[in-house]
Amino acid sequence: MSQQTTPTTAPQPPATTSRTAGASSGPRPLAQVLGNQQVILVVVLAVMVAVFSVINPKFFSVGVFGNILVDWAPIALIAIGQTFVVISGGIDLSVGSTITISGVVAAFAMQAITGAGVSDPVSILMGAVVAILTGVVVGLVNAVLINQARLVPFIATLATLGAGAGLSLVLTKGGPVGGGPPSAINLSVPVLGPLSWPVVVVAAVALIGGAFLHRARFGRYTYAIGGNQFSAVASGIAVKRHITKVYVLSGALAGTAGMVTYLTLSSGSPSSGLGDELNAIAAVVIGGASLTGGVGRMGGTILGSLILTTVTSGLIVSNIDPNWNQVVVAILIAAAVSLQTLRGSHQRRKP
Amino acid sequence: MSEQHAAQESYIYEVRHVDKSYGSVVALHDVSLGVRAGEVIGLVGDNGAGKSTLVKVLSGAHQPDTGTILLDGHEQRWRSTHQVLQAGIETLYQDSGLAPNLTVSANVFLGREIPVKGILGKLGFLADKQMDVTAHQDLESAGIGVPASNRGVSQLSGGQRQAVAIGRAVSWARKVIILDEPTNHLGARQAKEVLDVIRAAKAKGLGVIFISHTLPHILEVTDRIVVLRLGQIVRDAPTSEFDAESLLGTITGLISSS
Repeated sequence: MSQQTTPTTAPQPPATTSRTAGASSGPRPLAQVLGNQQVILVVVLAVMVAVFSVINPKFFSVGVFGNILVDWAPIALIAIGQTFVVISGGIDLSVGSTITISGVVAAFAMQAITGAGVSDPVSILMGAVVAILTGVVVGLVNAVLINQARLVPFIATLATLGAGAGLSLVLTKGGPVGGGPPSAINLSVPVLGPLSWPVVVVAAVALIGGAFLHRARFGRYTYAIGGNQFSAVASGIAVKRHITKVYVLSGALAGTAGMVTYLTLSSGSPSSGLGDELNAIAAVVIGGASLTGGVGRMGGTILGSLILTTVTSGLIVSNIDPNWNQVVVAILIAAAVSLQTLRGSHQRRKP
Repeated sequence: MSEQHAAQESYIYEVRHVDKSYGSVVALHDVSLGVRAGEVIGLVGDNGAGKSTLVKVLSGAHQPDTGTILLDGHEQRWRSTHQVLQAGIETLYQDSGLAPNLTVSANVFLGREIPVKGILGKLGFLADKQMDVTAHQDLESAGIGVPASNRGVSQLSGGQRQAVAIGRAVSWARKVIILDEPTNHLGARQAKEVLDVIRAAKAKGLGVIFISHTLPHILEVTDRIVVLRLGQIVRDAPTSEFDAESLLGTITGLISSS
């Protein structure tokens, strides 16, 4: 940076700077560990698994965990995308219907490809490409609506949410789209313990996503824009271009989730993905992100999405009316946000 | 108004005959001003006098309607703030602040991160350790001490955040630094530290444009004062020609420009 480091007038270091954040090195006090949202989430998840296992010992099994993870995969994918969007200060409501439309479009593509006598693996691969590209298109539309048409993200993605859901119904006339590669269904079955191929892919996406969020320029700009857009502009960051990348990423991951959903259903359904945007937002918020932007962790999102899908499966296995699911999720969201606010007011120093 | 034209040649950064309107509102009219290397000029004026608009023109955030911008005597047409930063001109906007959830060093390097070596660097992975060390060295050499921390700068006090923002600007600037109300909301002691940083920047050979409402600070640290009123420059004279009373009078228009 500065070429010269001449010790100029070198005034005294400000006296105000002496006492801060001494906790950055050395063993961390217990209060700080407990104040870490991710630690709390791990505990919550462990307690949930324990409680559900006590209620119904069958819950603690490779089979149930395998099912939970298959349910988790598409939610985790859109939650990973949503993490970037929310940290950038936006919101992407379109991810649920992007799952729908990308699954439907990919289903039509695979129907045609398989019908033409192409082998299953090639057909599935091409279906995945089509699904991801469909998601990219939705992301680009979102970005244009936000950057060029100047809509706030909520409205822009509400528009594409409606358009995607409607278009899916128009294309499918309301019914499932089958006729794809017959062996597609096998891909969502666990191959190693509770792990199925989609789960392995999602785990890899989570790791790579986390690395880009926390260790690379892409994530740094995402935090900067969400935290203080004006300072990001003043720092010479191409904010609009970055916003475009973030929504395209979210769209591409929703497209991937659409393909995963196709694999579990073995067809493109106009009702898959319905309302999943709220699951993604819930996962991100439970994971510690703030909808005001600039705050959030990939690890939190992954734990948040795991907690969500565990609650759903756990209630079913426990023979509790699964409609309680939404109530439990609501409580989790309220608790997570309240915890965050309390911690925030506890830590923040007055100027 | 003639004295500034006499030494025009030596200006490192200047604008000439700049006009800027927003719709029917004339924000700047025929504004000419320049700063020399190693000179601190104070830019003062009442609210709505056009200071912020002039800062935006100087920092490349806005383009003037007419008039020219010269850096080292060469005419420039800024198309983005990024271009201006690249040219060695740093701006600290009023209340622009920092990215609250990034660390001190991430803020100092924001927009100019150092990537790690190799293919990961090409993917945008960052050399955080290296940036940490360099950032704190540079801040220290700018006369600013902030604690090393892996927490966001929102954990710092307001004065510390402002110190980081100024230190960031000073350590990156190669030619000119524009400080818009850097002592706002600061206590007396912190404000004094900011003034020390301005002196350090001057000693480093930077041209400093210092905008403030706090006239004692302007009188204390500047070499020359430029007074804006209703979008026009009404006085441009060495600081020695002003005292608190005459400066205030010129700003408010109670004393007519000489």
